[in-house]
Amino acid sequence: MFDDADNFADIFRGGLPYCLLIALPILILCTPAALASDLQVQRMAQFDINGVSLGCRASAISLEAKSLYTWSTGRHCVLARLLDISVNDFNKIRQKAGGLIVLLPNNLLALSDEAKEQVNALEQAMLTQAVPVPVYFSAPNKYLEQIVDDITHTIDDNGSKKQNDTAIAQLFLSISANGYQVTVSGANAVANKNSKISVIQGELLSNQYVPKRMEGTDDYNNLPVILITANLKTFGIYNDYPLNADAAILMGLIELFSKLHSVISTTPKYRLVFLLSESGVLLNFQGSKKWLDDNVVLQNVEFVLCLDTITQSLAYNQQNVMYMHVSKPPKEKSSISNFFKLLKLAAGEHVENVTVEGVHKKINLADTQLAWEHERFSMKRYPAFTLSSVKNPRSPMRTSMFKDNEARIISQTLTSAKIIAEALASYIYNIDQYAGIFDGHIEINEEIIQPYLGVKSVLQNSDIKDGFEKYLKNVKIIYDKPDAREPDFMFYEGHDAKLNVYRVKPAVFDLFLTFVIALYLSIVYFVIQYFPKFYDVVSKFTKAEPSTQLNGNYSERVKTKVN
Amino acid sequence: MTLYHFGNCVALVYVPYYFTYKYSGLSEYGAFYKCIHSGAIYIFTQLCKMLVLATFFYSDTANGGGDFNFFSEILRCSVDVADLLGFALILSRIPGKGHSKLITAGLGWATAEVILSRGIMLWVGARGTEFSWIYILKCLDSNVLLIQHITTATLIWLFTRHDLNKAYKPIVTLLLVVTIFKGVWLDGLLHVLAIGPWSTIAIKALVAAIIGFCSLHIYTGLAQQIGI
Repeated sequence: MFDDADNFADIFRGGLPYCLLIALPILILCTPAALASDLQVQRMAQFDINGVSLGCRASAISLEAKSLYTWSTGRHCVLARLLDISVNDFNKIRQKAGGLIVLLPNNLLALSDEAKEQVNALEQAMLTQAVPVPVYFSAPNKYLEQIVDDITHTIDDNGSKKQNDTAIAQLFLSISANGYQVTVSGANAVANKNSKISVIQGELLSNQYVPKRMEGTDDYNNLPVILITANLKTFGIYNDYPLNADAAILMGLIELFSKLHSVISTTPKYRLVFLLSESGVLLNFQGSKKWLDDNVVLQNVEFVLCLDTITQSLAYNQQNVMYMHVSKPPKEKSSISNFFKLLKLAAGEHVENVTVEGVHKKINLADTQLAWEHERFSMKRYPAFTLSSVKNPRSPMRTSMFKDNEARIISQTLTSAKIIAEALASYIYNIDQYAGIFDGHIEINEEIIQPYLGVKSVLQNSDIKDGFEKYLKNVKIIYDKPDAREPDFMFYEGHDAKLNVYRVKPAVFDLFLTFVIALYLSIVYFVIQYFPKFYDVVSKFTKAEPSTQLNGNYSERVKTKVN
Repeated sequence: MTLYHFGNCVALVYVPYYFTYKYSGLSEYGAFYKCIHSGAIYIFTQLCKMLVLATFFYSDTANGGGDFNFFSEILRCSVDVADLLGFALILSRIPGKGHSKLITAGLGWATAEVILSRGIMLWVGARGTEFSWIYILKCLDSNVLLIQHITTATLIWLFTRHDLNKAYKPIVTLLLVVTIFKGVWLDGLLHVLAIGPWSTIAIKALVAAIIGFCSLHIYTGLAQQIGI
C-alpha cells in the first residue's frame, strides 16, 4: 500500500478509511486508558438489626468532588476531613449529596477534647441511622489532603474575589477551574449469606476432689453460678481493629481465677461461667439472647456480671468513675448489693482513686433496642448488672472505633481489671474487707491483658478460643445465624474499595483548548507559507560575492526551519 | 481526559508535520515514500542504539528517582552519535535534490520518532480521565523536535560537503556537537535553574531556533554557491 503511495493523501484513497472505520472503535473499546492513582478506602459499615437497616446503604460513586462548603446537588460527592464535618453537615449530606469521602485524621492524640467529642458525636450519628449515600473512609493520605485543600481553596478565593471580579476573569476562572472526578466502582454490597454471631462460653471447674470435700453439696452442678459476660466489638463505622478492653479483662479474669481454682484450698464454692459474644450494643446483644434461649435451665444464679466499655477508647473529660448499672435497685443483703459494697471497697483501696457509682435504669420494653446487656438477663429474672465507665447508655463511646493513647488505655484497663478481680474474689471467699488477693504473685499485669486488646473476633487466629480452652472446661462455641425469612441481623460484604480520583477540566476547557490549538496551527501554517521570503532575506545577507541567481520554483526553496 | 482531548493533542502534534510535508513542496515531488524510508532508517538506528546501550552501559535509572545525573547523561548522549550516522545514511540513500532532500530526511526522521515515542503515550494517557498538562507539553516539545531534526539533517549535509568554506567547518562541527549533547548541557542547565515546564519548552524552542538560524545562514551561503 505504501509503495505506490506517492502522496500522503494517496493512502486514504484506498481501503484504509474503511479499515480505520472498523479498527478505531475496536481500539477505543479495547485499550484501557490510563487510570489515575488508586487509593484504598473503606466503606462505612452496613448492617441490619431487628429489621432496621443501618449504616451505609449504597456503594458506587462516580461524581464530581466538592468541598464541604460548595457542594449543592446530588451530583456532587463531598470530600472532607473528618474533623471538619459536623453532625449537621452529615445530616445534610445524607439527605442531598451523592456521596461522602471522609479523610481520617492523622493523630488522634493531639486532638482537643471538643474535637474528640465532635468526632464521637458524628460517629454515633452515622451509626444510628440508615445512610442512603455511599460513605467511604480513607486513611490519612497526602494526595487526598492536597485535593481537599485544592477544592477548598478555589472556593475561598472565589468567595473573597466575587465582588470585584470582572466578567472576563470569572469566565476565565470557570474555564480553567480544576475539577476532580471521584469514582468508586462496584455494585451495591450484597448481604453476607454467612453472617453469624459467635458466642463462646466456658466455665471454671474446680478440682475434681472439691465437690466431695464440701459438705452439703453433693453435686457440683448445684453450686451457685456467677456468670461473667462481655462483648467483642467486631465492627464500627469503618473496618479497623477496635478496642476490646472488656474482652481483655474477661480473659484476664479467666486466667487469674483459674489459678485460684487449681489449688484445692482456694477453690471457691461457686461456679464461674464466662461468656463472650460478638454482639455489642450495636447488635442489640443478639449473642446473649441466643445463649439465653439455648440455656433455659440455668439455675441457682448468684448474679450476672456484664462488662461494657470498661475503658473508653478516646479519652475526654473523664472522671475515674466505674458505674454499676442495674435495672432495679438491689435490695439490702442481696448478692448485687453485697458485690456493690465490695466493689466500692476495692476501688477505695486502689491507688488510682476510682469511685464506684450505682445507676438505676428501668428496662424500656417498648424499645426494641436494649440499653445494656444485663437487661437481657434481668428480663429472664436473673440478678444482673453491668459495669461500665460510661454513665449514659447512649454514649457514643460504646461504639467508637477511634482510640488514642495506648498507654493510657492499658493502665486504665489494668486498674479496672484489678478492682473487679479483687471485688469478685472477696465475694467468692466471703471476705468483708479488702484482702489484696491479687497483690502478690498472682497479680494482674499487662502481659495478661495486652494481647487481647486488639482482638476482633472469637475466631480470629483462635486467640480467644485457645485462651478459653487453656483455662476453662466445657468450652463451647455457638453460632447465631440469621433466620432465612426474618433475619434478626444481617451483615454485608464489601468493606474495601478502590477509589480513583481524576483531575478533570470542564468541557468548555476542551473547546477553549481546541480554539487555542487552531490558532497556533494557523500561525504555523503562515510561518511555513512565508518561510521562502525569510529564506530570501537570509540569502541576501550571505550573498558576499555575486553568485548565480536563485531560480527554481517557489516551493523548492522552502526550507522549513520553523514550524 | 477524553477522546476529544486526545484529538486536541494529536492535532497539536501531527498537524505541523503535515503542514511541513504539504506546504514545503514535498507533496509535489511525491516524497512520501522517501519519508517512510527515512523513518525506517530511524527505527533501524534506534534499535542499534538500544543494543549498544543495553550491552555496554550501566543503567542506574532504578535509583535515579528523577535526579539529573550528569555522568550518565553524557554517556547516553555519546551514544546519540549514532543518530548522526543514521542521518548520514539517510542522506546518502535518499535521492533528491537540494532543499527537499534535507526536509525529507528531517521530516521522516522526526515523524517516525513522534509516532513511536508519543503515539502510545498519547493514546493511553491523554484519553484517560485524568487531565494533565503534560500531554500538551509533550506535543509542543515534539514540534520543537521537528525544527531540531531538520536542522541536524542540514548540518550533517553541510558536514559531508567538501566544497564548504573552510572557515565554516569548525562552526558546523561545533553546532553538531552542541546538538548532540543538548541532553547534557541544556537539560542540565534547566535542571539546575529549576525552571517550570512551560519555560523549559520556550527555552528549548529558542535554542532550536538559534541553532536552526545559524545553520540556515551557513546553508544559504553554500546553496547559492553551488546553485541550488
